[in-house]
Amino acid sequence: MKKDRSISILLRILSYSISSLIFVFLVIVIFDGAKYFSTEFFTSYPTDGMKSGGIFPAILGSFYMILLSLIFSVPLGIITGVFLAEFSENKLSKIIDMSITSLSGIPSIVFGLFGLSLFSITFGFGTSLIAGALTLSLMTLPVISSATAEAIRALPIELKESAYALGLKRNEVIFKVILPAARKRIITASLIGFGRSIGETAPILLTGAVFYSTSLPKNIFSPVMTLPTHIYYLVAAYGESAKWMAKGTASFLMIFVLAIYLITFLVGGRRNG
Amino acid sequence: MDKIIEIKNFSAYYGEKKVVNNITVDIYKNKITAIIGPSGCGKSTLLRSINRINDEVLGFRTEGNIYFEGKDIYRDIDDLTLYRKKVGMVFQKPTPFPMSIYNNVAFGPRIHGIKSKRKLDEIVEKSLKQAFLWDEVKDELSKSGTALSGGQQQRLCIARTLAVEPEILLLDEPTSALDPIATQKLEILLEKLSENYTILLVTHNIGQAIRISDYIMFMYRGDLIEFGETSEIVKKPKDPLTEQYLTGKIG
Repeated sequence: MKKDRSISILLRILSYSISSLIFVFLVIVIFDGAKYFSTEFFTSYPTDGMKSGGIFPAILGSFYMILLSLIFSVPLGIITGVFLAEFSENKLSKIIDMSITSLSGIPSIVFGLFGLSLFSITFGFGTSLIAGALTLSLMTLPVISSATAEAIRALPIELKESAYALGLKRNEVIFKVILPAARKRIITASLIGFGRSIGETAPILLTGAVFYSTSLPKNIFSPVMTLPTHIYYLVAAYGESAKWMAKGTASFLMIFVLAIYLITFLVGGRRNG
Repeated sequence: MDKIIEIKNFSAYYGEKKVVNNITVDIYKNKITAIIGPSGCGKSTLLRSINRINDEVLGFRTEGNIYFEGKDIYRDIDDLTLYRKKVGMVFQKPTPFPMSIYNNVAFGPRIHGIKSKRKLDEIVEKSLKQAFLWDEVKDELSKSGTALSGGQQQRLCIARTLAVEPEILLLDEPTSALDPIATQKLEILLEKLSENYTILLVTHNIGQAIRISDYIMFMYRGDLIEFGETSEIVKKPKDPLTEQYLTGKIG
């Protein structure tokens, strides 16, 4: 009994200290940067060697980049997930499962280098929105597909059998019953993928992002500024005079990511359908 | 009396394991036949073999024959989906689809090609009435099927099955997840349905089998021990095993 009690106290202290650490970290990052927020900060270009102006092109660039990458990764991830869950007796499915698992263990800079060599150089996309988005979608793919597969495997087997018993064919069972039943968790997974990829720096550093652009991207082959790479460049290349902008950008990025996770939590919270 | 299903020397395996052992029995039209027996006796497997839902299970295979209206369902059926439509199935766990009550019931007919809104409305109303659910849900047909109570969900699943106009209803312990009142409602419903449908019911509940069935099949470790009219079996079981099971000595 006494041992139980001391372990429970120890665990409590540990979890409290970890959560307070995270809390302090968030508060410092957010409030330290939030004081630079102004309308100008969100709507204008950086000027005067990053000493003034705002981060509008980086916000827009990040947004485009993520949106484009989700266009690739969400459908592909869902299809892969369905394949993994529904055709698990298939040999190919086992190979894919293994590849997906290892894909999620690869460091992001390796994705960046891979994207650089495949999309930017071999495909000739150069430093562009599309090369960056494709590289990012490679990173989000495992998140979405394994979550989709998990969501489908978690459904009661009787649901599937009821559909078969009504005389549905396999593809009808998958698209009309299984996917709708798992849709909430699939949406949650896509949002988590969204939240994760917006903060990714290394994969787009080499493939899609430039440190400064004077115009907004015209098409998917234009290079863009993005939030995480913007922070990186500001800190690495500009030093003290641009520090305020890095703080502001970090704060905004943090708030944005937190908002995404909050939405994810709200969607996933009501989980019975 | 008309036979609707004839089972001849039928055995079923999961991999190497034989779970149904050489069963021969007839199922009569518009009667309730209850399959009873202790857990693992093969009763669910036999039931699930009748609409071939076990085809989806890896490693499942069969020997012998099951005839539906004279056709061998493992050999002479070209269109499995069409056959399954005729043999409706309701499971232990209520499984409403994640959509409205209306769409749950209209689901099957839509899949099988009925598009007219008026026709679908008719089917939905008729099926829900048959399942004794209409009065409880007629004002909230757009509500999600998963929001109903357990007993209502199970009746919704029955309505959904009836909507594709089956000839046989297979029920795999349909009341084991329900409270006594919902169970009673369902039993009354099944008796009523047996006027127009052949019902095959797997149940753990001996009392339920005695209350509503016309025929009883008693299975034990894959074998069919006894089959006969419920009143006969209850009064005077021929096999000592049946008697032991009915009196609770084994189970």
